[in-house]
Amino acid sequence: MASDVLVKCVVWDIDNTLLDGVFLESAGELPPADPVLAAVLRELSSRGILQALASRNPPEAAQYVRNVTEADFAAVECGWGSKAEAIARIATDLDVPVDAIAFVDDDMLERAEVAADLPDVLVLSPEDAADAVDWPQFSPAVITAEARRRGRLYAERRSRQAAASVFGGSRDEFLRHVGTRITIAAATPSDLPRLQELSVRTHQLNSAGEPLTEAELSHLLASADYEVATLRLADDFGDDGLVGAAFLARTGATSISVPLIMMSCRALGRGALDALLAWTCRAAAQEGATELTVPCLVTDRNVPMRLALGVAGLRAEPGSVAADGRALFTRSLTGDMPELPGWVAVEAGK
Amino acid sequence: MSGEQADAVDAALRELLTDVTSRPDLRGIPADMPLFGGGVGLDSLSGTLLLRQVKRRFGVDVAADDLNLDSLESLSTLTAFIVERLSSGSR
Repeated sequence: MASDVLVKCVVWDIDNTLLDGVFLESAGELPPADPVLAAVLRELSSRGILQALASRNPPEAAQYVRNVTEADFAAVECGWGSKAEAIARIATDLDVPVDAIAFVDDDMLERAEVAADLPDVLVLSPEDAADAVDWPQFSPAVITAEARRRGRLYAERRSRQAAASVFGGSRDEFLRHVGTRITIAAATPSDLPRLQELSVRTHQLNSAGEPLTEAELSHLLASADYEVATLRLADDFGDDGLVGAAFLARTGATSISVPLIMMSCRALGRGALDALLAWTCRAAAQEGATELTVPCLVTDRNVPMRLALGVAGLRAEPGSVAADGRALFTRSLTGDMPELPGWVAVEAGK
Repeated sequence: MSGEQADAVDAALRELLTDVTSRPDLRGIPADMPLFGGGVGLDSLSGTLLLRQVKRRFGVDVAADDLNLDSLESLSTLTAFIVERLSSGSR
């Protein structure tokens, strides 16, 4: 759709986005501005792009952000309603078309909600926003090929969102309709940098909740006790490359454990996590295991991970969350296995 | 507690479900149709977005109280969970 529309207004979240912390959780000392995003904000302002705030904080937070970023905000929405509604009001107030708005939020679910309700909005994580100053959508003069590529990735996503919002059929029908292709393959050493990046950057779709170093990952890849599977995702709109991985470890004669399963938020809603979990159950059964266990951190932010575990037939003992915040999700590997959709190609296995 | 309250919750859930999925055809589904898998076809994203709307509408945090999220089995189980929380005064 409107892939090369110039962004006229950026709507920013406050907590853990423009501020390096949470406004209301600061005892005494308020969190400082995020230095990188504050610089992005000022640079975009200097290019004539409007800036706005959408936050669940009280209005004092907006005033505080004004002071610490030394920026002017053309519109401020503070309140408990949905961010999509806040953005729609900002668009009306400032008379900016919705497809000329970018929205930056650290919370994947806020981003997903805005993307679903307002598919024309360019939705960005703080990491994306940090290099967005180079993208064509923010600058009439394109600077680098890499910036063009990243900018295109987000334009593709916007086109996919727009297509999904008018499709009308089921999710599976949509995934088939847009030519979704998932490839599951054994990890190789060349995947290490991307696996490390995913381990650091995935919070909400990460069962372990702790990043691994490249050395630790390298060790796991080389170990005979572990099987590491990667998942690549593409469709007719574009190729997202390596977006997820599962680590399988034998923990007994008949039991296989998954110490880590992780997925980029880019893949959310596109069947990738379900496919990886279905493959994991089947691979573990093929190895002769009769039980699969996934220790998973339980937080209010990784609800999608828990739902996906449930869809794959894994259950935890109610009330069994341990002191470290984790619960052990298990399932038997005898009987019915979760289905792998037809668009999943499997090259993994040893 | 009353059947009237359950009917109101059920009607509100149908509205939230069609919002989250952009599929008005789901408004009239049977209350016991599975929300995940073959039935309604929710996935982990749309299921989470539905729970966020439930929290906003009813003040009931399903994810905090239901580790396995089994109350998302169907509209009738979700309605029962919400009605139970509302009448136990957790609101």
